[in-house]
Amino acid sequence: MAKTFHLQIIASDRVFYDGDCQHLVVTALDGQLGILGGHEALVTSLPTGELKYLVDGKWHYAATSEGFMEVMPEFAVILVDTCELPEEIDIKRAQEAKRRAEEKLRQQQSIKEYYHTQTALNKAMNRLKISQKHFK
Amino acid sequence: MPNMREIRERIESIKQILKITNAMYLISSSKLKKARKAHDDTMPYFHKLQETLEDILEHTPHVQQKYFNRREDIPAEKRKKGYVIITADKGLCGSYNHNILKLAEQELAKSYENSCYLFVLGQVGRMYFKRRNNYADHSVFDGQFLYTTQNPTLYRAREIAELVLEKFGNGELDEVYLVFTDMVKNEFVPKVVRLLPFERRHFGKDKDGTLKKLPKASFLPSPEEVMNYLIPNYAKGLIYGAMVEAFCCEQQARMTAMDSASTSARDMIKELSLMYNRARQAAITQEISEVAGGANALKTESAQ
Repeated sequence: MAKTFHLQIIASDRVFYDGDCQHLVVTALDGQLGILGGHEALVTSLPTGELKYLVDGKWHYAATSEGFMEVMPEFAVILVDTCELPEEIDIKRAQEAKRRAEEKLRQQQSIKEYYHTQTALNKAMNRLKISQKHFK
Repeated sequence: MPNMREIRERIESIKQILKITNAMYLISSSKLKKARKAHDDTMPYFHKLQETLEDILEHTPHVQQKYFNRREDIPAEKRKKGYVIITADKGLCGSYNHNILKLAEQELAKSYENSCYLFVLGQVGRMYFKRRNNYADHSVFDGQFLYTTQNPTLYRAREIAELVLEKFGNGELDEVYLVFTDMVKNEFVPKVVRLLPFERRHFGKDKDGTLKKLPKASFLPSPEEVMNYLIPNYAKGLIYGAMVEAFCCEQQARMTAMDSASTSARDMIKELSLMYNRARQAAITQEISEVAGGANALKTESAQ
């Protein structure tokens, strides 16, 4: 039995996961990052991306938006804005959001608006990608 | 003895008001249910967020970061303080608005003239500070800051956080505080929480009071880079949590206020209908005695 650590994934509207986990893979700012039990103390921020964690030999996947993560040897805490299982993703809504963001990007915008639209587009594409990958 | 017609009119008008307060009670209780759910869903995030950040800051090595800059070179009377104040959009919710405005007022009284910048959420607070600024020029009130407190969303919290961080970043503000109502075991406690600048602690205190050195965590890719992302995220989460909490408190306060208003209206109606019946009885008795008196007079007249 592999060594486990306590993992908490908390989204702004619910506690997504709270329990033991053997292996965690997140998308960090500069690529994917794997965490096993007994990892050194680490803090990193998470962009919109994919997350997977191994519990009892089974991988669980989730789509997350921006947040951050604190890792200590015995536990890990992930705090994100939203976190969804692939089957929870509303594909229609994500497609609509993507279309809207793309349309907005064609318009002239201020820098701030541009970043907002870019974030929205990222989120929508991430949702679509993950739901297509794991849930067909 | 009060007039019967007057009493009847009063009873009618109280009944009308009772209808309104009762309807508001029902509306706020259904809204409260929703707000309570959002509150319960968000609170783990809100508390964990603060806890985790505190923990992270204990493990943070020294970083040159704009959000940690305390700007100690600026003297106290020149420091520009920003207050994000969360009030309700409507009145009729007991002392909810009053308490939060009183606390804000106390905070403002502590600081120097013209050094406060107010960002007020909610119509009631906005009107209050607009009016207040007419006679006591004490603070700068942002009239462009128009956000509602109804049904808080992350999106709105992010916009507010961005605005505040931007103003802090370019030196328009030196300190930022968040004023909101916190719910502690079904009681409302107005609170002031400092949002910016962040305080970094090198040492945590052990139970016996001695200082212990905490191991430094590693940051990927670098502490500065991580903080650049983490702090806006934290600010957004904190503002969102405060908004959710305040909204839930507001509904709860309105429900209690409307409930007690309905109860006292019912009591008043009871009392007034008693008075009305008495007055009616008195009038009848008087009429009978008048009739009887008249009849007696007639009798004695004819007997003579």
